[in-house]
Amino acid sequence: MYALFGVHAAVPLVHGSQGCSAYPMRMFNRHFGEPVQVAVSSLGEDASVFGGKKNLVESIKNVIARRHPALIGVITTCLSETIGDDIDGIISEGNYEDSKVVPIHTPSYVGSHVTGYDNALKALVTNLSEESEPANAKLNILPGMVNPGDVLEIKQMLDSMNISYTILSDISETLNAPLMLPKPPFTVGGTSVAELEDCAKARGVIALCEHAGGSAAVYLKGKYGMAADTICPIGIANTDRFLDAVCDMTCAEIPYSLEQGRGRLIDAMVDVHMKTCGKRAAIFADPDIALALAEFVTELGMEPVIVSSSTASRKFLQKAKSVTDGEILNGRDLYELQRAVKDKEVDILFGNTKCTPIAKDENVAFVRCGFPVYDRVGYHRYGFMGYHGGVYLTDLITNAILEWGERG
Amino acid sequence: MPLTLLNSDKAIPEREKHTYIKAPSENILPLSNVQTTPGDFTERGCTYAGCMGVVCGPIKDVIHLVHGPIGCAYWTWGGGTRQNLSDNPGFHGKYCFSTDMQEDNIIFGGEDKLYKSILEAHEEFPEASGVFVHSTCAIGLIGDDLSGVCKRAEEETGIRVIPFNCEGFRGCSQSLGHHIANDTLFERVVGTKEPEELTDYDMNIIGDYNIQGDLWAIMPLFEHMGIRILCTFTGNASVDEIAQAHRAKLNLMHCQRSTPYICKLMEEKYGIPVVKATLFGVEQTSKALRDVAAFFGLEDKAEEIIKEEVAQIAPKIEAYRSKFEGKRVFIYQGAPRAWHWINMFREFGVETIAAATTFGHEDDYAKICERVNDGALVIDNPNSLELEEILTDLKPDLFISGLKEKYLAYKLGVPFINGHAYEKGPYAAYSGFVNFARDVEKTLFAPVWGLIRRGNDA
Repeated sequence: MYALFGVHAAVPLVHGSQGCSAYPMRMFNRHFGEPVQVAVSSLGEDASVFGGKKNLVESIKNVIARRHPALIGVITTCLSETIGDDIDGIISEGNYEDSKVVPIHTPSYVGSHVTGYDNALKALVTNLSEESEPANAKLNILPGMVNPGDVLEIKQMLDSMNISYTILSDISETLNAPLMLPKPPFTVGGTSVAELEDCAKARGVIALCEHAGGSAAVYLKGKYGMAADTICPIGIANTDRFLDAVCDMTCAEIPYSLEQGRGRLIDAMVDVHMKTCGKRAAIFADPDIALALAEFVTELGMEPVIVSSSTASRKFLQKAKSVTDGEILNGRDLYELQRAVKDKEVDILFGNTKCTPIAKDENVAFVRCGFPVYDRVGYHRYGFMGYHGGVYLTDLITNAILEWGERG
Repeated sequence: MPLTLLNSDKAIPEREKHTYIKAPSENILPLSNVQTTPGDFTERGCTYAGCMGVVCGPIKDVIHLVHGPIGCAYWTWGGGTRQNLSDNPGFHGKYCFSTDMQEDNIIFGGEDKLYKSILEAHEEFPEASGVFVHSTCAIGLIGDDLSGVCKRAEEETGIRVIPFNCEGFRGCSQSLGHHIANDTLFERVVGTKEPEELTDYDMNIIGDYNIQGDLWAIMPLFEHMGIRILCTFTGNASVDEIAQAHRAKLNLMHCQRSTPYICKLMEEKYGIPVVKATLFGVEQTSKALRDVAAFFGLEDKAEEIIKEEVAQIAPKIEAYRSKFEGKRVFIYQGAPRAWHWINMFREFGVETIAAATTFGHEDDYAKICERVNDGALVIDNPNSLELEEILTDLKPDLFISGLKEKYLAYKLGVPFINGHAYEKGPYAAYSGFVNFARDVEKTLFAPVWGLIRRGNDA
């Protein structure tokens, strides 16, 4: 769903029981403060016995007739996968006129939410990208499960370098939409299906989160021979590396405005280093974000004593060893995180709203990040990525430390 | 006008049967409690949601273990968006228990993993009074023997371990989940413990989930009357309170969609009569107090309390009434609140121009149709396209619904109240009515609505 909300005029169609659409919708509502529209094939007891084909075919027909979407992403669930519906086969039998229909396999018993996003992106580029002439000078950017504010930071950096690009997929406007009447039938913004088709022609692809989008990048590289890289541009070194990679792929140069942006972030970090240096940090986030945050807090003079992610991954474990000598929680839950926070005498915790009770129980400074954040407003609007995002993050961190100090 | 087909439904004409515009001297109800049209953008949830999310979740001292892949447990963690308050917040709703089924468990079965999970959860939280095991779609399909595993675990741990077969694909909405929870709690819990003492004034409040503390506004009214609340089903309830519920003299039923089953079962087996009540708004709350007082012979006391409570809030309500009079509301709730609140709004002079429920049955729609004025739209299981059409075309002054619809209303510039999780409740009883009115005033008269710029329709 996260991935599909960034495609213009796309409809996620959940092939499963109604809870599988209703529950996630609420979390999107809470985090983004936006309406989201999700269709569901409403599989009942009959379908569970006889298969869900009838429901799926009827659902696609109804969605097209009433919404005329550019794209329908058919998202599977534990129910439809365990029944064994051949959704690829069912979808390929239909004729959908102007709408594209893409099967996306996301049973909850395989991997995590990150796996689901990665599968969705891979399904989109595999099913939609088409090799055609002429090649263009564009860059494909796969942002991963980040906030609209992060995507905006990336776009602003690339704009300042005069680089043309395609964000796959772009939630910067669709999940941070203005209130203007009349409300358009589909939210303005998002990656168009044409851009998805054209992404084959680009000269390079950068996945900002290897675990959430990396598979699509590997596919694009393998299939179309474009340059590929994965860098999560949080902090000085990571953003430097990101911009270098962009320059390498496009022959662009880093403009003075970005040098100034870098200087501003350094300035912000210098201003607060007496507050940040020596603090012991625990980080809970999706794998790539957790690693990049660990590197950034190290730049701030902190010690990342716990680096944790709920998505089990060998790559994460390997890389985490290079960014911390502390404890690594790979594919572990928050109960284990809380124990580690107790053991490691943590000063500051990074995590989503589900971590709020840990921060309270253990009386540590708390920086909200990731998805979902719903016990405070506005976090989706601002990004941590890039130099400018780094300034915002630096301020958040420092203010969290100051408030914690006042609490005593 | 009889049944009608909205513009957004031209492609799915079966929705006509669910959509009724009330006309004089007609005896028509919209079709309800049937399977949703596939792919119609329904707002409905699943059977698991009705069982685990609605009825069982508020029980405060048991481990709610979700047997299935992680998603189902994650989304309902802490009640999801529901705020079923309890006096045990250090445990209730704080943790998320799941068997976290993986692909190989789905292939080879999850019974061992379930058994180990129950023992592990009990070991970590030995103070919990029981383990409720909630089954999910994948489990229903692979056919784990939940009863067998729970029985073994019960013997091992010495606490209640109760399976709920509430797989999401069963039924057409949350409604069947309520029924499954009622039946299971009745069979496995009610009547398994005797109260230490009994009084002649013992009553259960059935079907209130203590949303933002509703029960804490409701209970003192009855307690001042001299009634002892033996069990609240299930807001802020302990499993032992439910176990003793069979000794009450009376069941007061609030949510009449999610709990008529257990009331009927208790009436049949234990002879406990039922009083149906609406505890929203002045008139309905006063009627509930009078009905209960009549049963226990406490009429004088009830009148005293009503007089005192009404005197306290009447001036405020009158002031709100003068501001709200003539406004038009669209109510969309799970089921009973849609009709509970038609009368409540009437006390403010606010007319319900449209009413809808997610999982109401015929009796809910009968009550709605009886209460709304002619010309009102009554629609069953409305989907998001229909909601957008109704909000755009009927232009209600206020929409009262749940989180999934909140930001749609906002994006259409329609003032909104969250009637499921509340804005800042409680909303029940007399004091809650004032909170409710305060929130309605806030949204109706927020200056921001006047700042929206309206372009030309494309």
